[in-house]
Amino acid sequence: MAYLPDFGILAQLLINGILLGGLYALIAFGLSVIYGVAGILNFAHGTILAMISIAAAILFESLRLPLAVILLVLTPAGFVFGWVFHKVLLSPLQAREPHQRTIGTVLVTVGALIIIGDVTAVLAGAEQRVIRLSSTFFEIGSVIVSGTQIGILVAVSVSMIALHLFLVMSWTGSSMRAVAQNRIGAALCGADASNTSAMTFAIGASIVAIAGVLYVISYPVNPYSGFPLTVKAFSIILLGGVGNLPGTLIAGLFLGVAEAFVAFYWAPQWAPAISIIIVLGGLLLFPGLARTRRAA
Amino acid sequence: MTFLQEKRAIGIAFIAAVLIAFVPSFATSYTVSMVMLLLLFYTLAQSWDWVGGELGYVNLSHYASYGIGAYVFATAYTNGAHFLVALALASLVTSVIIALISIPLFRLQGEYFAFATLALLPLFDILASNLKSLTNGTEGIILPAEQVTGIAFLLMVGLAFLTFVTTTLIVHSPFGLVVRSIRDDEEAAESIGVRVLPRKIMVISAAIAATAGGIHGWYLSFIDPGTMFGLDVALVPIAMALLGGSALLWGPIVGVIVLVFLNQWLLAYFSILHAAFYGLVILLVGRYLPGGLLRSSLVRRIKFVSLLAKEHHERSSVSGNIVEGLDLTPPASGEQDVALECRSVSKNFGGNAALSDVSLTVRRGEIVGLIGANGSGKTTLFNCISRIYDVSSGEVLVDGQPITGLRKDEVAHAGIGRTYQIPRSFERMTVRENVTTALLGRSDPPRFEDALNEAARFVCYVGLGHHLDDSVSTLSAQKRKSLELARALATSPKILLIDEVASGLTPTEIDQFVAHIRELRDRYGLTIIWVEHIFSALAQVVDRVVVLEQGKVIANGTLDVVLTDEAVQRSYFGAKAAETEPC
Amino acid sequence: MLTVSNLQVEIDRLQILWNVNLKLEVGERVGLLGANGAGKSTTMAALLGMARANGGSIHLFEDDITNAATTRILAAGIGLVPEGRQLFPALSVEENLRMGCFLRAHRKAYRERLDYVYDLFPILKEKSRQMAGDLSGGQQQMVAIGRAMMGQPRLLLLDEPFIGVAPIVVTTVLDVLRRIAGNGVTVLLVEQNVHRALEFVDRAYVIDNGRTVHEGQSKALLNDGAFAEKFLGLE
Repeated sequence: MAYLPDFGILAQLLINGILLGGLYALIAFGLSVIYGVAGILNFAHGTILAMISIAAAILFESLRLPLAVILLVLTPAGFVFGWVFHKVLLSPLQAREPHQRTIGTVLVTVGALIIIGDVTAVLAGAEQRVIRLSSTFFEIGSVIVSGTQIGILVAVSVSMIALHLFLVMSWTGSSMRAVAQNRIGAALCGADASNTSAMTFAIGASIVAIAGVLYVISYPVNPYSGFPLTVKAFSIILLGGVGNLPGTLIAGLFLGVAEAFVAFYWAPQWAPAISIIIVLGGLLLFPGLARTRRAA
Repeated sequence: MTFLQEKRAIGIAFIAAVLIAFVPSFATSYTVSMVMLLLLFYTLAQSWDWVGGELGYVNLSHYASYGIGAYVFATAYTNGAHFLVALALASLVTSVIIALISIPLFRLQGEYFAFATLALLPLFDILASNLKSLTNGTEGIILPAEQVTGIAFLLMVGLAFLTFVTTTLIVHSPFGLVVRSIRDDEEAAESIGVRVLPRKIMVISAAIAATAGGIHGWYLSFIDPGTMFGLDVALVPIAMALLGGSALLWGPIVGVIVLVFLNQWLLAYFSILHAAFYGLVILLVGRYLPGGLLRSSLVRRIKFVSLLAKEHHERSSVSGNIVEGLDLTPPASGEQDVALECRSVSKNFGGNAALSDVSLTVRRGEIVGLIGANGSGKTTLFNCISRIYDVSSGEVLVDGQPITGLRKDEVAHAGIGRTYQIPRSFERMTVRENVTTALLGRSDPPRFEDALNEAARFVCYVGLGHHLDDSVSTLSAQKRKSLELARALATSPKILLIDEVASGLTPTEIDQFVAHIRELRDRYGLTIIWVEHIFSALAQVVDRVVVLEQGKVIANGTLDVVLTDEAVQRSYFGAKAAETEPC
Repeated sequence: MLTVSNLQVEIDRLQILWNVNLKLEVGERVGLLGANGAGKSTTMAALLGMARANGGSIHLFEDDITNAATTRILAAGIGLVPEGRQLFPALSVEENLRMGCFLRAHRKAYRERLDYVYDLFPILKEKSRQMAGDLSGGQQQMVAIGRAMMGQPRLLLLDEPFIGVAPIVVTTVLDVLRRIAGNGVTVLLVEQNVHRALEFVDRAYVIDNGRTVHEGQSKALLNDGAFAEKFLGLE
């Protein structure tokens, strides 16, 4: 370790951390929206992402499809998958009383995560996959950034802005926020909670699809990589607040940067432990975090 | 009968344990390892259910306790400790770790709690993989190659039996009843004086899991992060408990047997996708069998199964007729004259002032009516007194002592009892159990058997004697209101807050109710504040009336005086009264 | 316009309404009075398809809307200002109002309706960007009424709209309601304060224990000395 902070290294770590954190935040967004509106803990969230990442990698390797096409194919696929998943498996559970509903969603989503992981492993093999893009490198001072990284940052930012605009400006998005805040009031306006939940789940799945494609460009994925990502998404939501997208973004970036720094200054293996330590530490130091915050 | 049921269950388990203990002497090693697995998963699933099913906190990191226990055992054992010492250490060290982690964890509730525990799982995997000096990292710890199968097996049988016995003790004990009240409605439970430290149960649960980890690690002679903290297995014991039937004595056993056998069968017949089928079973149970196998109507058709599936409810050993009189002691004569005082109490919600500068004094033995239009702040005032809400300013004093900052259960012990406008009964309990919980919540509670009998008195007092051992879910809204009253009385309150009980009652029932109120004051010395809309009921018994409007007190005096008060007339009847007055 | 015949409604295995009969003509202002727990809110919920009727019928003009989907009822022109307002606390005033136009059929007229509601309640225009949860009780009530009016209802149902509303604001709101009624909207008002209700409506029904037990012209009820006592249970 240097005595004086080497700003070049710091900046590099910051950039890498922001990239990672941005992806984490995007993954968490999907989960946050789903939980905020539909009230569902989706333990299979990361596993669905891993499935799509692997599908993207296969489409890239075998069919040599350009990235844009892959996104265009997989995002609607994610949407449909999410819609069907909710309608068939999760929607009927919502009528149960709260304790049974929690148990039901836990069992269904855990069962789903086991199934999806195994089926993906059987169909596509259990090895790590990644999409290798050749790209140009840019030098800004002593910091090296690849075109791919810039592209991903742009894509993540665009997705987040698009999601935000969708939630704030579109009729469907507004109805999602309305249902999250007051189901009765929403019903009075004609926004039925059940349909809105299905739509929310589908949109959440689409976000996961986009995140999945972007993720596998930077980091390798195997069929069982999903669950640790789900855990990270949960931690981010806990810190940032359910439904609070700006908070989730900050928490995600913070986590990404923290992992980058820990990986470099300490050891890479410790980086994933950061999320949990932050969560527990945060709760210990700031008990107020524990109150349910449901912002717009 | 409670005690016999308990003895019978333990007896059955004991016989089963003895029989199982003989398995290694005649069975193949495959069978032995299968049974070992069954015993292990049972121990894990059942210990999980204490926190997840009985208490209602879904702890997804339970499996980590197993892993930590295994590691502590292995470390101690390879350093020369005797295996029993190593096991004790495993249990102890894990308990301490879990106790510490629980402090921030139990600040969360419901699904947030589940989120956070989920995050713990990979943490221990990482710690085990990277603290190489302690755990030898991913290479794992190899235990000396000894023939330990026999002893390890016996230890596991013993542990499983202990787990079962602990379950019967928790389920069949007053502790179990109190724990389940928290699961059903934690806030209402606190309001009747219940205080349970969830951490205690969490630590016991972790201690059992850790011991299981130590024994199993010893049996395997090899532990590594993958085996001990593998995410793919971590949620399985939980799925087993839920699959069989959470919070049922035989639920986790059924779930364990079904899933372990299923897994073995799948392994034998499917070279691929056996995990997927396993997951499919879990998914289907979650989707179609909400309470688990033992609660599904399909499964209950099998006679034997329905015996296993009975929900446990406490009954009294004394079968008796309807009992008269309540077990309430009138306060001593030297007690404070002013029972309750509110000094400039205000409560704001965002921009909305629900209560503004409310001051009132209630003397001991008074019956005060609290009236006002909907939204005037009556229930908010009750909530401030029973500490469901913190006041925004001002203070509330009970017997001259301010109650600011007291916990809800402490307020109950200070003598405040209340009913809720919308009844908050413990849904999954019987009428008797609801009231018994209140008796157990007293600052000096009666013995369990006595409490179960005493509960009958209160239940009969409110006219629910015929429903004593019925499940609350079968009661009408009206009867639940009566149950609310019985439960509130059972806490032996000095001050009783009653929130709207009379609407929906027939005139005769109202008269009966009013007679009860009078008796509660005259005979048992209670001070009563009664929120009510039906003035004819109030008129019969109240000493005076306080009128709220828009969160402010607009009148305070005897009923006839108050009703002729201009402001009150305007509030209730509108401008007509004002019209007849000269401007 | 609206005919409710022998309506029976059950909630959670409990029969709440046993026999409710109401009849409203176009342009009328009718009150629904009764003690707490009598069934007024349940009647409102049933009218909007949010409580299941297990007997009797509800007709809007010739249309049988008994147990119809809420979306269909909203499209047919019924709007509800619910008890407790049921606003979206973390959405702005304007976003709350916007949800009132959520039904596909209503979306086109959004801008127009928004101007109309701002005209009814100018203060809402001032506070259009504030979070609804931060408003005072009276302002929140205005948002609730405005939201219901966004859907251009022909029949406006109001369930205890004056709870937690300061007396001065009540006067303002009543004036607005008179304006709305003057624009041809039929109004059914559930209200606890008997005289306040009777001063606004032409006619009123009384519900007791799930049954319509009394009906009369406002003037007649106002002059009936015994009425208030019977209704309030004083002896």
